[in-house]
Amino acid sequence: MGSLILDALNVRVQGQGEKVLVFAHGVGTDQSAWQRILPFFTPYYRVVLFDLVCAGSVNPDYFNFRRCTNLEAYVDDLLNILDTLGVDRCFYVGHSVSAMIGILASIRRPELFSKLILIGASPRFLNDEDYHGGFEQEEIESVFQAMEANYEAWVNGFAPLAVGADVPDAVREFTRTLFNMRPDITLFVSRTVFNSDLRGILGLVKVPCCIIQTSKDVSVPASVAEYLKNHLGGENTVETLRTEGHLPHLSAPAMLAPVIKRALSR
Amino acid sequence: MVSDHEQVEEMARSFNRKVHFHDIPDAILSSIFSLITDTRSRNAMSLVCLKWHLLERSTRTFLSLRGNIRDLVLLPTCFRAVTNLDLSLISPWGCSIPDSSLNTTVLAQVLHWTFPSVVTLTVYARNPSILRLLAPQWPYLRQVKLVRWHQRSSTTLGSDFVALFEHCHSLASLDLSHFYNWTEDLPPALEAYPSIAASLSHLNILNYTSAQGFKSHELLAITSACPNLREFLATCIFDHRYIGSVGDETLLSLATNCPRLSLLHLVDSSSMSAARGDPDNDGYTTEDARISQNMLIEMFSALPLLEELVLDVCHNVRDTWIALEMLNSKCPRLKSLKLGQFHGVCKGIDARPDGIALCSRLESLSIKNCADLTDSGLISISLGCPRLTKFEVQGCKKITKLGLTKVASILRKTLTEVKISCCKHLNTVTSLQALEPIQDSLQRLHIDCVWEMVEQSVSEATSSAKSPGFKCSEKRRGIWEETNLKKKYKKYNFNGDGYASSTWAKLQYLSLWIEAGELLNPLALAGLDDCPMLEEIQIKVEGDCRHQSSPSSPDDFGLSSLRCYPRLSKMNLDCQTAIGYALTAPSGHGDLSPWERFYLNGIEKLNLTELNYWPPQDIDVNRRSLTLPAAGLLAQCRTMRKLFVHGTASEHLLRFLLEVQTLRDFQLREDYYPAPENDTSTEMRIDSCSRFEDALNRRAIPD
Repeated sequence: MGSLILDALNVRVQGQGEKVLVFAHGVGTDQSAWQRILPFFTPYYRVVLFDLVCAGSVNPDYFNFRRCTNLEAYVDDLLNILDTLGVDRCFYVGHSVSAMIGILASIRRPELFSKLILIGASPRFLNDEDYHGGFEQEEIESVFQAMEANYEAWVNGFAPLAVGADVPDAVREFTRTLFNMRPDITLFVSRTVFNSDLRGILGLVKVPCCIIQTSKDVSVPASVAEYLKNHLGGENTVETLRTEGHLPHLSAPAMLAPVIKRALSR
Repeated sequence: MVSDHEQVEEMARSFNRKVHFHDIPDAILSSIFSLITDTRSRNAMSLVCLKWHLLERSTRTFLSLRGNIRDLVLLPTCFRAVTNLDLSLISPWGCSIPDSSLNTTVLAQVLHWTFPSVVTLTVYARNPSILRLLAPQWPYLRQVKLVRWHQRSSTTLGSDFVALFEHCHSLASLDLSHFYNWTEDLPPALEAYPSIAASLSHLNILNYTSAQGFKSHELLAITSACPNLREFLATCIFDHRYIGSVGDETLLSLATNCPRLSLLHLVDSSSMSAARGDPDNDGYTTEDARISQNMLIEMFSALPLLEELVLDVCHNVRDTWIALEMLNSKCPRLKSLKLGQFHGVCKGIDARPDGIALCSRLESLSIKNCADLTDSGLISISLGCPRLTKFEVQGCKKITKLGLTKVASILRKTLTEVKISCCKHLNTVTSLQALEPIQDSLQRLHIDCVWEMVEQSVSEATSSAKSPGFKCSEKRRGIWEETNLKKKYKKYNFNGDGYASSTWAKLQYLSLWIEAGELLNPLALAGLDDCPMLEEIQIKVEGDCRHQSSPSSPDDFGLSSLRCYPRLSKMNLDCQTAIGYALTAPSGHGDLSPWERFYLNGIEKLNLTELNYWPPQDIDVNRRSLTLPAAGLLAQCRTMRKLFVHGTASEHLLRFLLEVQTLRDFQLREDYYPAPENDTSTEMRIDSCSRFEDALNRRAIPD
């Protein structure tokens, strides 16, 4: 089982240092999204990179639809990788969905993580009575229905047509990265992501967290960062980057790297 | 009639009884086979029977290896006659052979034994170790081309070349045009191996991989080390504000260093960026080059064997008619000339030919950015150079349809290749109208797709080609007013002026430039509707997609409009100069995936067999990657045999392409600098590529 997962998920270890730093990408990208950030950290840390099983760069045959119905399967993968590599303590940087995965992992294995750095994170994307997650149930449903109704076209590569100009900005921005995967996997993973609700268990997290938010992320409202800070069980800080967008590691690496560094040193 | 027919039949029968193809002696068959160069034909020939197979293999001198690197030990052994071997396309593209987990000594031996006669070699040299491995296997190499788009590994200066020079003492030709290295790498290597340098007759350092130009002292060092050069191509810096720029002294010294030159190309490094330029600027750069007419004359005198000359200077060289008038006598063999930013090449003010027009032996002429070239100059040139088969004008803002029509008319017996680009008064319609006199003979054409009509000036009235009834055709937000144009075009036809339909009977190759966001559909209406022989088309898209809203309606660039060309089978679709956002578009801006859908929509209707595709790029993150719509659309091309994507793609999306049953040859070629290192690229993984190719090769191919 061990080395199989290292190969399958393209696990790479780079850099020299005593402490281990894990970078986990969000849905729709792969580990190369961290390329511009890496040089800031490889001199000082042993950096672990990997691809989520749903990533475009992973053999789609490995994606098990029965297993990956919720985020726990992804947590299993992460913990498997760390165990195979013999990591007993690490810092974890997770973007978007991987932030959620990191939160879940730290509840299962609190001693494994010294600190969680969460970029563009959200415990729940759908709006609720008193909670503003950023997406309305009806908006998401309409997207899924468009995908499913036109599934043939979707699978043949015309997906973005279904999510056209009339879809709200938030949905469009978020789904843009989703479309880098095989369409049936995209549909499946989207459902998984939008069905997830971690609000109830946030209190179980004891690991200190640094929540990094951009000044304007259409997929994650500003209030979510505050919500996380207030509800995550450990010691939490919020850092706001003076840049917009959901992927600061791609669009503003020079601004993001020092913020991560500061968070790691505290 | 009947008896004639019977007689012929009788003759045919008797002829058949006497001689059969198999009766031809092997020696003659061999000679026949060796004249055939088309690979597909040769492969077909080798399947006929064992004898033909052996004969074909024994006359096969050119081979390009396309398998996967881990299968290299399974090389077929029948190609022992190969003298020209291309190893640069082995999969995964750009891999480093010695770094892969193969037994390299065994591999070297296998290569040596399988191809004992190799004399010409093309190889992807990621780092010097591959050359250290291969060069000793073929010590009699005469021509070598090195390819590298990846970053240069941190080795000592010139170590790539030293590995080669140390073992290949018969080296006569070195091509580094697609090899990324520093300009400081080559001179010391040449100086360390003076005998090889002295026997080099062809050196190509006109580098497409980088914008570096060789400095003047480097050029002089190289040319003095290689005095027997016959062909020399180099990028240099003509801007005198830079240290090491090339001016009078350098050019003259270069010429005296290598008096045997028959081919000389000196191109300013800024010209390599391939941007089209602005047709509206005045044509003069702010700075002049330090090139004087007297020096040019002396330089021409020093190169009496010159047959082909390219001086693509990106800074003004003025009053050039003075030197050009001497060119014909100083360089009597000169057949091909290209000049960039040379002003005053031909004044054409009176009946006497002047300037270039005196070079009567020219067969190929390319004039780029000549700010004062007028119609009279053009006419003078075409009268003075009656042998021209290839004529190019780019960035000449004073020439109009009148001049070009005269050129086409005067040279109609010889002209077969024409390029018109970035000339303010020559948009697509007027260019095509001007070329009407050579419609029947033109074989290769480049035009820019500029659909706005320029108001034709009065002086333009020629005899029969009156200014047509097209007024300013409006383009509103990308929606082409096709109906308007068509109506007016038809009206023009019925007027009886000029031509009825425009049949370009011999046009085989068409190259187009088009701005990002513009549609292709108007092309047929512009005058290119009937091209029965057109097989190959090249489309270059240039522009900034970031600030335009991604096209939603119509969301179709118009590739399917090319269906009117029945024989079209090969296409190069180059969108790399269309810049956009890959993943990081700010809110409110679109990313590149709807643009890829825009450009590729309808491609399946074209029955293409070969496609080279350069995806649009996000320059901020050096990403040129297939998106989902692109993969889906490409997968619908049911006749595609060869597909090369010059960028990256993820495994999920590559799987789409397995649906194309006829696809035999596919490769991701990141031939841009810097080519992504495997770990750092967007979606490049060696294993992904290998898995995909295995899947591709496992399928049965119907034809």
